[in-house]
This record gives sequence, structure tokens and C-alpha cells, in this order.
Amino acid sequence: MSTALTERPGADVLPRVSGAAALLNGHYAPPPENKDGKTWVRTSALVQEEPQKLYELWHDLEKVPAWQEEIVSVTKTSAKTSHWVLQSGDKTIEWDAELLADEPGKRIAWKSIGGDVHEAGEVIFEASPGNRGTMVTVLMEFEMGVLTRMVKTFTGRDPKQAVVENLRHFKALAETGEIPRSQSAPHGERGMIGGVKRSIYGEKIPTPTGVA
Amino acid sequence: MKAVCWMGTSKIETLTVADPELLNPRDAIIKITRTAICGSDLHLYDGFIPTMEAGDIMGHEFMGIVEEVGPGVKNLKRGDRVVVPFTIACGSCLFCKKKFWSACDNSNPNAHLMEAAYGYSGSGLFGYSHMMGGYAGGQAQYVRVPFADVGPLKIESDLPDEKVLFLSDIFPTGYMAAENAQIQPGDTVAVWGCGPVGQFAIASAFLLGAARVIAIDRLPERLEMARSIGAITVDYSEEDVSVLTALKDLTGGVGPDACIDAVGLEAHSTELQGLYDVVKTALMMETDRPAVLRQAIQSVRKGGTLSIPGVYGGLLDKVPFGAAFGKGITMKMGQTNMHNYMKPLLERIEKGQIDPSYIISHRITLDEAPAMYKVWRDKKEKVTKIVIDPWAEKAA
Ligand SMILES: NC(=O)c1ccc[n+]([C@@H]2O[C@H](COP(=O)([O-])OP(=O)(O)OC[C@H]3O[C@@H](n4cnc5c(N)ncnc54)[C@H](O)[C@@H]3O)[C@@H](O)[C@H]2O)c1
Ligand SMILES: [Zn+2]
Ligand SMILES: [Zn+2]
Repeated sequence: MSTALTERPGADVLPRVSGAAALLNGHYAPPPENKDGKTWVRTSALVQEEPQKLYELWHDLEKVPAWQEEIVSVTKTSAKTSHWVLQSGDKTIEWDAELLADEPGKRIAWKSIGGDVHEAGEVIFEASPGNRGTMVTVLMEFEMGVLTRMVKTFTGRDPKQAVVENLRHFKALAETGEIPRSQSAPHGERGMIGGVKRSIYGEKIPTPTGVA
Repeated sequence: MKAVCWMGTSKIETLTVADPELLNPRDAIIKITRTAICGSDLHLYDGFIPTMEAGDIMGHEFMGIVEEVGPGVKNLKRGDRVVVPFTIACGSCLFCKKKFWSACDNSNPNAHLMEAAYGYSGSGLFGYSHMMGGYAGGQAQYVRVPFADVGPLKIESDLPDEKVLFLSDIFPTGYMAAENAQIQPGDTVAVWGCGPVGQFAIASAFLLGAARVIAIDRLPERLEMARSIGAITVDYSEEDVSVLTALKDLTGGVGPDACIDAVGLEAHSTELQGLYDVVKTALMMETDRPAVLRQAIQSVRKGGTLSIPGVYGGLLDKVPFGAAFGKGITMKMGQTNMHNYMKPLLERIEKGQIDPSYIISHRITLDEAPAMYKVWRDKKEKVTKIVIDPWAEKAA
């Protein structure tokens, strides 16, 4: 830095690189481009909770069905591996995952190691500028199998959006102890296009209950 | 239970639907004792707000008796009497902590829809489209209230429902409009729209120290009501009346210190630009009719404040932003941060400083609601506020 500006009374120490690679040498870097059949998603949320607590919640595999859409079970199969089952409509998708990095209070990374899903992901917990809470950033990369894509299109939630929604649910659960929902609200006759609208609004994906 | 349902643009029906149930730990079920039809409901009735679905239950202004609470609600119990704010807030996100309750991060299950339209999502609202949460509204006999440990205001005194019902929306909305107007002692404040929100904005401007309030509308009974609480009135529809000139004439050419737009996106207009907006919205090239917003920007004095409680939903055309910049004005707006105002305003009611029930013109049943929506929109008969008793079989 030059000496052109010597007073920055409220400024935080400037990070040069950030988790999930949103920042490189002090410069914003967009998420990787989608190519070769790979889709990338990066999303973040500011959560009013300590990084360690958030890390623990994310790490609690048994609790995953409480906040991740359509996940019906996650079973630990060894110290570093787990088996995942996702149910979408009447289709079931299963895969195994392996933990690649596990830094308490800071970062978790994983990848799939067989089954119907090919994905890798990372979640990072960082203090926000000015201590406004914890910035949780998720970076995921996946190759969609034909089956997965078909299921997702049918239910109206594209898999990128599912990552965004899951982080939103995670934040709500961490901050309030529950996940907001309105899907089973009483209503009058929906008429002919009701189903189409529900699909467009993403309301065919059951909101996770917040309890496992 | 019985509920007033949106079945399409200009189509409202009272139907028998399922009773609501507790879904989350912090929910409560309220047995509704009084509810009201709001100016905001007209934007749904007229099809201006997207993502409504046939069968949606209307209504966001209601109060009642706690019927049942979830295990997470410790401050309320069955039998408590409460008024419920129309914005739903969690109490623990960054925005709730900053007391910006209408921007709550955690109360809109369909946040992605609003994110797509607005960049970020605001809080969930009762009975106000799927984009705003898809929650069932309160023009019904029962309602589910999420985050019931944060929103509902307990009424411990024996004040009748009608005196406290409007704490659910329009009184705080009018009050925040006046607060957003940044009124200083000696100020002249102009208020467009003498509907319920306008009435409470006028009353609140006085409570906050305005020296003079100028109220603008075309409906005689509403102008009369505004005069009854101390405002000077201007009828914009009278021949030869230009609102800009009227406001200059009444302020020695300076213009009002603050302007409040309590009309919103369905403003009427007598001028050519009104026709322009009707054509453009019909062609879907514009979503809102910002006639009042344009006028208020033109009219406010240099360095003055424009406060906008009137709802806007989408894309506006021909907004004189150059005038706003040229005069260096401040604009403040948004859904009301209800939770900040309910308690202090209840205290003002208890002290007898204001009796909000003065605006009520009609008391009806749920079955009469569909017909009254038309009356409320067309304003051909004198109608200032419609209150519903959801348990009455015949009108009082
Ligand atoms: N910000 C919030 O949180 C919030 C809450 C409640 C209501 N609102 C909004 O406030 C607005 C008013 O609500 P209301 O219940 O009083 O509605 P209302 O429909 O009863 O009142 C609107 C009034 O504006 C008048 N009007 C129309 N065109 C005009 C013009 N060109 N100049 C002057 N007056 C004009 C009408 O004659 C009517 O009296 C609505 O847009 C409503 O959605 C906002
Ligand atoms: Zn309202
Ligand atoms: Zn909140």
C-alpha cells in the first residue's frame, strides 16, 4: 500500500486471500466457470453465531436431514466417510462421501466417492468485516448425472438453487432454532394451474423441518 | 374455518378451508376476534402484486386470542389477547438486531422469489403473495403466527378491539411515515392520500410536532376526516387545482418541508401522464402508476424529505430523478418496522392521546367481505375503513 491514505480508523486488517477463493491478492474473483459438464456454485450467508458453533452444526451428520432439502438420511460409514440418501418425488438417489479437510471452527471439505452423485464441496466459516457475525461461504462443484437432472427439473429446483436454499435453511436454523415454512398453510381450491405455480415458486420441494 | 380467499384478479370469495396448525416450535395459533381490509389488499385484488395463487387467504391486519402455542413460545399462553404485526420477524438475525424488522432474513420461506426480483428478500408478510412468504392471512377465523414470541403485542387493559386493532399495520405505518419525514418544529408537511395510512400519517405528523399539515385527496369524506383532526385540505380533482401550485401558495412559495406519499402504486391521475401510465401498465411496460411520487418529488422544498409509506412493487417510469437530485432531497421508505412502534403507540392510545377507531366506517361479516372489496376499491360510497368480525353471522 502507498502512503496516499494513512488514516483508516474503522478498517479491518485486509485479507489477501479468502476462503472459497472469493478474494485473490485483494481482488474479487468470480466463481469458476461452468465447463466440461461441471457446474460451480458459490454462495454465502452472514450468520449471527460463533464460527465454532456453526462448524459443529454443519459437522453433525445426523442433523443434516433437518436442514438440507430432500436428504432423508446420512449415515457415518467410517471416520471419514458417510452414505447419503436423497429422495425427490418418488426417485431415490444415493451416494457416498469422503471428508477431505476438517479444521474445527474454520473449514470442512468433502467429495463424493461413488454412487449417483459426483460432487465436491467446501464450507468456510470466517469473521465478517466489522464483526457483524460469521460469514459462511459454500463452494460446490458437481457433475450432474442424467437422472439427477431429470429429477431436479421435474421438481422445479435447479441444483444450484438447492445449494443456496440449503445455506439459507442452515442460517435460519442456527439463528432461530427453526426453518421458516408455509407450505401446509390452509387455502381454498387451487384450481388448474395451482400445481404449475407451486413448481415455479419452488414449493414442491418440502421445506426441511429443522428437526432430525 | 371460514376464510376470505383470493381466487384471481378482482375475484374474492369466502370459503370453508382447513384450520391452521402449529408447524414450528415458535408458532402460535390465534383465534381472530377482529380483522380489517387494508389499502394494500387492493394491490392484490387488482392484480398488481405477482405470485398470488388461487385459494390464498387474504388479510394482514388482525388481532385475537391465543388458542395454542408451540413449545418455543414462553411469553404467551392460551387465552392471552394479542395484536399481531403484519411483518413477520425472527428477532435474532442481523436486521432484527438492528431493529430493521421488515428486513428480517429468516421469515420468508420463499426468499428466493423476492431475491430474484429485488436482489435481497424482505421479511415474510401475512396473506401477501408467495413472493412475500406464502403465509395464510388473517381475514379468517384462525391464523398461524410464526415467531409468536417476537411479534404479537399483548393487550392487558380492557381497551376494546377496535381501539387497538390498527396497531397491526396502519397506525404504525402512518407513524413511521411521519418519523421518516424527519419533522422539525415549525415544519409544514404535505400528505398525499387520506386513506387510513394517510389519516394516521397526518395524526402522527401532529404528534411529532408539525406546525401545519396539508392533506391531499379527492374523496370528500376523507378530506373532511383530515380536517377534523386539524389538517388543511386540497382536492386535487377540483377544476383548476394544480397540487404543485396549491402547495406553493400555502407555503409562501417555499414548498413543504416534508412530503408523504400515502397513496402508492395505484395513484389516480387527472392529467395526461395518468393516461400514459394506464397504457404503459396495460402493455406491461411499466408495473406501477407513480403519479403521486412524481408530484411529491416536484413539490417538496429544496433539501426537504420525501417519506413513502405507499407501496411500490416494480418498475416505474418517468420519475423526475433530476428534480430529486437538483434539490438535494432525502427519500425514506419501506415496509413498516412494526415492532418498533406497537408498544409506544399502544401507550399513546392508553393515555388517550389518540383513538384510532375514528376511521372505521363499516363493520361486516366474513361473508360480506367479497362484496366489500369492490366497494373498498371503487370508493363510490363513503368508505374509510372496513373491519370484519370473523365470528359474526350478520352485520352489526
Ligand atoms: N409501508 C407499509 O408498510 C404499508 C402498510 C400499509 C399500507 N401501505 C400502503 O399505503 C397506501 C395507502 O393505504 P390505505 O390503506 O390508506 O389505502 P386507500 O386505498 O384507502 O387510500 C389511498 C388514498 O389515496 C387517494 N389517492 C389516489 N390517487 C391520489 C392522488 N393522485 N393524489 C392524492 N390522493 C390520491 C385515494 O383517493 C385514497 O383515499 C397503499 O399503497 C398501501 O399499500 C403501506
Ligand atoms: Zn395493511
Ligand atoms: Zn430476523
